[in-house]
Amino acid sequence: MEGEIDKEELKAAGAQLLPDGRTGLVINGWEIETRKFPILNSTHVQLWEQKLQTSHLPEMVFGESSLVLKHLKSDVKIHFNAFDSLVGWKQEKLPPVEVPAAAKWKFRSKPFQQVILDYDYTFTTPYCGSETVEKSLEQRETISDEGSCKLHWEDCEERIDLTALASKEPILFYDEVIFYEDELADSGVSLLTVKVRVMPSCWFLLLRFWLRVDGVLMRLRDTRMHCIFGESNKPVVLRECCWREATFQALASKGYPSDCAAYVDPTSISQRLPIILHKTQKLKIPN
Amino acid sequence: MSELDRQIEQLKKCEPLKESEVKSLCLKAMEILVEESNVQRICGDIHGQFYDLKELFKVGGDCPKTNYLFLGDFVDRGFYSVETFLLLLALKVRYPDRITLIRGNHESRQITQVYGFYDECLRKYGSANVWRYCTDIFDYLSLSALIENKIFSVHGGLSPSISTLDQIRTIFRKQEVPHDGAMCELLWSDPEDTVDGWGLSPRGAGFLFGGSVVNAFNRTNNIDYICRAHQLVMEGYKWMFNNQIVTVWSAPNYCYRCGNVAAILELDENLNKKFRAPARKPPPDYFL
Repeated sequence: MEGEIDKEELKAAGAQLLPDGRTGLVINGWEIETRKFPILNSTHVQLWEQKLQTSHLPEMVFGESSLVLKHLKSDVKIHFNAFDSLVGWKQEKLPPVEVPAAAKWKFRSKPFQQVILDYDYTFTTPYCGSETVEKSLEQRETISDEGSCKLHWEDCEERIDLTALASKEPILFYDEVIFYEDELADSGVSLLTVKVRVMPSCWFLLLRFWLRVDGVLMRLRDTRMHCIFGESNKPVVLRECCWREATFQALASKGYPSDCAAYVDPTSISQRLPIILHKTQKLKIPN
Repeated sequence: MSELDRQIEQLKKCEPLKESEVKSLCLKAMEILVEESNVQRICGDIHGQFYDLKELFKVGGDCPKTNYLFLGDFVDRGFYSVETFLLLLALKVRYPDRITLIRGNHESRQITQVYGFYDECLRKYGSANVWRYCTDIFDYLSLSALIENKIFSVHGGLSPSISTLDQIRTIFRKQEVPHDGAMCELLWSDPEDTVDGWGLSPRGAGFLFGGSVVNAFNRTNNIDYICRAHQLVMEGYKWMFNNQIVTVWSAPNYCYRCGNVAAILELDENLNKKFRAPARKPPPDYFL
């Protein structure tokens, strides 16, 4: 958690910080918590490689870090973690992106018996969060399956009200969690992070996958979730996924700069990247 | 004319020096005459983490009492690339025989413009001049070093066009790091478990090399092992291929958030090795 939390504001909003050195708060029936740990060590990397059936992981995997938003009455848990996002990477399995130097390399003499690795080293993932209903122990005994079930996000027309979110309501809790990061062997950046902020009237989060392969392309896959606190016991979570992508070549042809140094901060350049996918869905929290 | 030149001229005329001059001359001579220690410390990537570099000298022993070999990537990513590189460079000028700096892939004009050093120079000096002076020096850094003819040190790894150490000496290296060829590969390539011979990275550029390549290279050149840096390892060092190559990483808590350990490789006069881990230190912050 960065910054001071105003105790008066917390009290006025009926929120309580989590005890025992945990990071997060309880507000309006939601328990919101972040956990941040160092990158996986070699032993855990091996374990993950086995579980994910891969021999390559991002060079920095913050495997134990997470953001969890739990609706206490319904046991609905919306959560974010590196493992699930890497499962998504494995499933999407995009073909590798060639760096500019690759063209030159094609014409040089190859060493004898060269193997070409062809996994998606950009770790592009369609991940937009995980959700489960986690029953408490007693309840679990009466349910035959694993005790958790999939929730259904339905497509909808509503949009997240960004204007309302721009209002300067006090922020009761703010944090950012990195899930994985790779420097693409100094050929750019691949980064998956989530930011969360909780205000007296709602919570809002942005899960962002940011990829820049220097001189080739940029990908920005944003997932925003918004939940307005209301009187009802059945809150609704709105989720907006927006994928943007552009090649450096396409940007240059529009007159934008084509040097990588101009594309360090995704927030400031996102508008330049055309949208290739946009969808809004909602999750009605069951009773 | 330097102070020393003037003193030589004076002595040639059989005129004695002042007492204070004798004192400082004797001190300087002692530095030169003191028995050179063979104890050697090998350090991997530093990436502008100046306060961690200072901690590293504390753990490893001060230069010039201890010999140091830095495997490149002094700059970029961290907050203090300018201070880090200038300190290492000043030590090199002051104690040329006690510290060796070899070139990493970040010691390049192109890479430093994207990953921090260029911006840091602009911010700290208001112009790109210092960046220009430094990157000009980068071109003069060696590509590799050989310790007691037994340990081959390089930033990245091997190249398919290099099979003997003599071939490295023939590379024209006083230039910006090219996008391909032997010089580029020594600074960029990585060992890889999943290939045995040579592999091509999924990026379409960049070589990966397997155990049999390392084995052949070490045998041909009669060396014990290769010591390289270039890749982050959580534990600070990592042996591969039956202890024939080791990766050393010396930037603790990389980018101030990874929580990884840093290591330096210590060799005594008989090349016995030991890894030491400097403590992690967060950068100081003028908080208000």
